[in-house]
Amino acid sequence: MELTVEALTAGYPGHPVVTGVDLTVPSGQVVAIVGPNGCGKSTLLRAVARLHKPESGTVRAGEKDVWQLTQRAAAHRIALLAQSPQAPEAVTVAGLVRYGRHPHQGLFRQWSREDERAVREALEATGTTALAERRLDQLSGGQRQRCWLAMVLAQQTPIVLLDEPTSALDLGHAVEVLSLVREVAAAGRTVVMVLHDLASAARYADTVVAMNAGRIVAQGPARDVVTASLVKELYGIDADILRAPGDGSPVVVPVAASAGTPAAAETTPVG
Amino acid sequence: MSTEHAQDAQTRDAGGGVPDAGTTQASPPSLTPPDSTPVRLGALSWLFPYRSALAALGMAVVIGLIVTLAAFASSTGMSFSDTVSGLLGTGDSATVMLVQEFRLPRIAVGLMVGAALGIAGCLTQTLAGNRLATPDVIGVNDGATMAVVASVVGSSTGMIGDWWLGPLGAAAAAMVVVLCAGGAGRGGYRILVVGIGVSTFIGAVTDLVMSRENDNTAGGVFLWTVGSLNGRDWGVGTPLTYLLLLLVPLALVAGSRLQLLRFDDDMASTLGVNVRRVRAVALLLAVALAGIAVGIGGPIGFVALAAPVLAARLTGPTRVPVVGSALAGAALVAGADALGRVIAPVEIPVGVVTSVLGGPFLLWVLFGKKSSPAPPAASQKTGKA
Repeated sequence: MELTVEALTAGYPGHPVVTGVDLTVPSGQVVAIVGPNGCGKSTLLRAVARLHKPESGTVRAGEKDVWQLTQRAAAHRIALLAQSPQAPEAVTVAGLVRYGRHPHQGLFRQWSREDERAVREALEATGTTALAERRLDQLSGGQRQRCWLAMVLAQQTPIVLLDEPTSALDLGHAVEVLSLVREVAAAGRTVVMVLHDLASAARYADTVVAMNAGRIVAQGPARDVVTASLVKELYGIDADILRAPGDGSPVVVPVAASAGTPAAAETTPVG
Repeated sequence: MSTEHAQDAQTRDAGGGVPDAGTTQASPPSLTPPDSTPVRLGALSWLFPYRSALAALGMAVVIGLIVTLAAFASSTGMSFSDTVSGLLGTGDSATVMLVQEFRLPRIAVGLMVGAALGIAGCLTQTLAGNRLATPDVIGVNDGATMAVVASVVGSSTGMIGDWWLGPLGAAAAAMVVVLCAGGAGRGGYRILVVGIGVSTFIGAVTDLVMSRENDNTAGGVFLWTVGSLNGRDWGVGTPLTYLLLLLVPLALVAGSRLQLLRFDDDMASTLGVNVRRVRAVALLLAVALAGIAVGIGGPIGFVALAAPVLAARLTGPTRVPVVGSALAGAALVAGADALGRVIAPVEIPVGVVTSVLGGPFLLWVLFGKKSSPAPPAASQKTGKA
């Protein structure tokens, strides 16, 4: 399902955070939104997910205006994994993933075969089947993040939004989650994720969207978009752009300390 | 922690990995919600919560015993078997009338008041995500008390006014608290703190008014302010029955929606819940139920706190235990009322009994939970038994 954002402006009274954003994401594509802290990327994601009412502009999932739908109808189309979601107390992994089926359930449809299949497939896709009966709060960060992804997958929405899905993970787990994201897109879903790490954005996204001060400043394939001048514009630092030996995707290496900009520390890839 | 990656690798391989393949295929984990059996009919499907049903059955039996004992305990010189046959309507007409017309009404009112308090507590605790968030914390008790006391002061006869003044005062106080707290959002503590402040203020006004009344009036009002079922009959029991028939089904629906508020609001929204509406409706129901209960039985303490906690222990953590809380609340109030009538030569008001029992219970909730955070399911159960 195609996701279309048109002339979207959102923020707080007298203080727009996102200004006039246009964005089209075709089915089966992965888009990574990058930009400095406070550039409006999370607000954009929240406006798409119906969590932050935009002041103007439209968000369409397929043909439908997301903000015209009921909460439940929207939950059939768009799923969001927030940055640090809060789980119900003492929930098990299977319990968590079952919650993903909530938009499909009702008084006369409490636990259908389809629910069961969706949960099983989500657990399998994320490699969490063996954890199903464990308690979520007793798992490691990497395991937990895969469980949350399983829940979002069980919702079976054509559009999946992820807000910094790798921010709390070490390199190994981050790569694992991002590979999973590619598989999700390969299965035909549309994925939009906010990422801090330019290198992973470049490697795992079909399109990189760079935001600064509430506007999109560049968008396109990573090798075209990720340049030294973009890094300078977004983060105010000098950086060398290297090409990865394998696929030639850009790797950002901040120029070392002599520049002395405090921002340099922040942009060191975290994933 | 060094084994973390190894574990992960194992789980990744499950199904494909050679050593794991056999075992995982032999015992695929059950994905059905725990303690439930799915019942399917074509495209329709239901979950029968057998553990909750069993717990409810058990509580119903306990309530039956309490009713019988309460009817027996309040008798003077009636044998136990006569009491039972009076309850069942099989005894001689004098016995039946004595039990059913004079004793049963008060017991029935006690059960209904307890059920209302239990459900109200269940809703507010789930709303705030905090076990200490009971309706009295958001000003319901003090608001109701204030209204009743005002009715006494305002009347020429010095009698307590109509029962519906309590719910009205409760609603007014709860509205003030919710408005001052800027909504009933999670974040929980804000509404608790504002609630304590407003309650204290209203309580002080009530005390001030009481202190200016003569001893006779103040004495009568005082009995009400500690929570008592003395003299409650079908005069209040009938409207109470109708109100509960209306509100309890609504609370059941609200309870099933509140389930999702165990997540943060954003997650609940993206899972298809209209968080604002669910929260407003649940809060309204809680205030109505608690207000009605307090209006009739006075501010009977601790039931709204204890009933949902007991119910959750019995029915398991997966559901919002609306039915269980109603039954536990009913048993607590009717039981405490009966206890208050037999343990001392002069009747002890039910509110005093629940408060005395409630203190230790509160400590158990607070410390029982902290002391065993790791595997609470097992250790807390044994702690209770």
